[in-house]
Amino acid sequence: MSYITAVNLKYRYPHTDRLALNGLTFSIEKGEFIGIIGRNGAGKSTLCSALIGLVPQFYKGAYGGKLLLEDTDLSITPTARLCSRIGLVFQNPFNQLSGAKDTVYEEISFGLQNLGIPRDEIHRRVEETMKLLDISEFRDRNPFDLSGGQMQRVALAGVLVMQPEVLLLDEPTSQLDPQGSEEVFHAVDKLTESGITIIMVEQKMEKLADYCDRILLLDDGKIVDFDTPQKIFSRPDLKEHGICPPVITKLFEDWQIQMENGLYPVTLKEALSLKKQIPSDFQKSIYQNQSHLPYSEYTVSFRIEDLFFYYQKGTPVIENLSLTLDTRPTAIIGQNGAGKTTLVKLLKGLLKPVSGSIYYKKEDISGKTVAMIAGQIGYVFQNPDDQIFKYTVLDEVMYGPLNIGMNKEAAKAHALAAIRLVQLDGKEQKNPYDLELSDRKMVSIASILAMDTDVIILDEPTIAQDFEGRNIIRSIIETLVSQGKSVLSILHDMNFVADCFSRVIIMVHGKVLADGTPEEVFEKTKLLKQAKLEAPQKIQLCRLLE
Amino acid sequence: MKSISLYVANNSYLTKLHPFTKLLYIAAAVSIPLLSGRLWMFCTWIGVSLIILTSGKLLRKTFPLIAFSFTILLTIFLIHGLFHTGNTTVIFSIGPLHFYKEGVLYSAKIGLNILNMLLSFAVFILSTKPSEFVEELEKKGFSPRFGYIINSVFQIIPQMIGTMHTIADAQRSRGTETEGSLFTRAKALIPLISPVIAGSLINTRERAIALEVRGFGSGIKRTYLTDHPKSKVDILCRLILYAAILIAVCWRITLCLI
Repeated sequence: MSYITAVNLKYRYPHTDRLALNGLTFSIEKGEFIGIIGRNGAGKSTLCSALIGLVPQFYKGAYGGKLLLEDTDLSITPTARLCSRIGLVFQNPFNQLSGAKDTVYEEISFGLQNLGIPRDEIHRRVEETMKLLDISEFRDRNPFDLSGGQMQRVALAGVLVMQPEVLLLDEPTSQLDPQGSEEVFHAVDKLTESGITIIMVEQKMEKLADYCDRILLLDDGKIVDFDTPQKIFSRPDLKEHGICPPVITKLFEDWQIQMENGLYPVTLKEALSLKKQIPSDFQKSIYQNQSHLPYSEYTVSFRIEDLFFYYQKGTPVIENLSLTLDTRPTAIIGQNGAGKTTLVKLLKGLLKPVSGSIYYKKEDISGKTVAMIAGQIGYVFQNPDDQIFKYTVLDEVMYGPLNIGMNKEAAKAHALAAIRLVQLDGKEQKNPYDLELSDRKMVSIASILAMDTDVIILDEPTIAQDFEGRNIIRSIIETLVSQGKSVLSILHDMNFVADCFSRVIIMVHGKVLADGTPEEVFEKTKLLKQAKLEAPQKIQLCRLLE
Repeated sequence: MKSISLYVANNSYLTKLHPFTKLLYIAAAVSIPLLSGRLWMFCTWIGVSLIILTSGKLLRKTFPLIAFSFTILLTIFLIHGLFHTGNTTVIFSIGPLHFYKEGVLYSAKIGLNILNMLLSFAVFILSTKPSEFVEELEKKGFSPRFGYIINSVFQIIPQMIGTMHTIADAQRSRGTETEGSLFTRAKALIPLISPVIAGSLINTRERAIALEVRGFGSGIKRTYLTDHPKSKVDILCRLILYAAILIAVCWRITLCLI
């Protein structure tokens, strides 16, 4: 018998008619690293919840078929008991902290205390786990004071310390910066050596290709395929299932270069083994979709002069920053805490400069209230739940336009156009809170687009979006640019940056480290390292081939 | 993160005392003067509390508490000094205002009582870490679920305040005017409050899962990371406090019998 077995597993959430899991049959062996992929709503998270007994015990609903860990029936064993064998880490690091412990050390020991593990054993295991995840230095800090990446590692530690045999990871890095997510992947990679079985839901195909033994492809609650990364990513019908293969696989598919087994390479290493067959003009096809208009085509929007800002005296967040922004679609990248969000908040007028000035279209905005410039500069916040309060999508999207003085008809027309642009048409009368997080994010984007501002600032728009969602955001950006609007975005997804933006600004410690086209910026290996960023995979490949 | 707990981690001897010893101190400081009914007893215990607070380097943190209660004390003094029902003997006058002995004494009793309670509670609250207190309660059989609720309040309230700021920014970005007349502010209330509530409901569900996957509901007897054995000082303090309460009770009983 296999280690984990699913036989015709079916599940339906309460008050819905659709099967979230529809007849899954598969088996997983001990020690495997399994990736789960699929579009939003394919059933990935539901499967994770089933594997730890939350489905059906916590969520209720209708359940059928069998799901076993060796002889243990996962549908009836209480989660609180299962947790010593199966661990779960999910997206939001913040909500995984117990919220009742003052220090990282106590936070990590929380699970062990609940299970009544002897005290000496707790101390030993917590020390070990902190060392493994490289978080010993934070032991006495309040867990809520840590950065996202650090917090997620604490959450991971809190689960690992219970020494589970199976570790479920549900998009553990989706809310982290590249450095933070690399930290988590690195930690997980270390674990594979210890023989633990890892099941990971992830949107970063490049990472899965690097780490997984097998990948389970789900669509509409059913298994499409369950095979090696090479076989999965070489499938011709991936797009129909809402999946975009790793950048490398896509390139080789375009070139029609296959490995000896007839499959496309999925990792940089595999790609390099085919070096001889790669066409000599490879650079052309790598940079093909980056056609930048000349600089003169664009008009200046913001002029920032000697900007200086701090939240607490003595720890400057932005220092002597001088920068001109124009209508080129611009991405701001950098680590968490580099001052990116602070900068855009200053542009939006939510914060006031300590010294220096910000001019928008030759007008100094430091003296204006946020509401006064709301009609000119739009800012989409990272978390849609920080703004949604109306009962229908349409009302929510109309709220901003009405505030800035549009009449009802104009507001409605703008709102409907914006809803169409984010491809939520048909959902206008739905309650936003009944939508998935990815759709709620689209609602918040639409609610700013409807205000028809000249500048649109997007803070991490790709978080929680699958391949299709990212495509929608890309088309939104293209539409806005074609309308002559300035798009400014903070991003952590380098592949997305390289594909959609003509200007990239790297920020480190409140200063601009590099500024230019994606090609120019991502060429600067040293600077990237200093900013703790990774070049997009295409450019990494280019560099390795040269 | 800004804590809402008043605990001062200054590592003084007071923070090292067992929480229950300090609780007993409150019981003694509040009950003994009431049992005795003598004004000088209130003064004595206020003095004792002040000495303890000073020795625990907490006196400065106490001033805001005293200042806060001062307005109430002053009101009581004015009302009773001027208008107490049993007022007959004038002790002093300010212009047309006559203060009476009975009312002043009565208000002094209430005022000192309030001050006494305040200071004795300050001894406990300023020197006890909430989570440590809850842990000791749990060891004595207090429900861990309630314990969790108390602990989480200290973490989650500051979090909610942080979220409120973000929400205010997000709504201001959409042209909500949050400053200005009362009407403007009232109008801004719903866009500000609704996301806080909806957000905390979403978070609560996720946190419930997070607790479950870490065995919170396992029903197994918990282990605690630290012992907090009663030290010799603890035992000595408790003996003195018990004795003091006992004497006060006896004295009161004899007073009644005579």
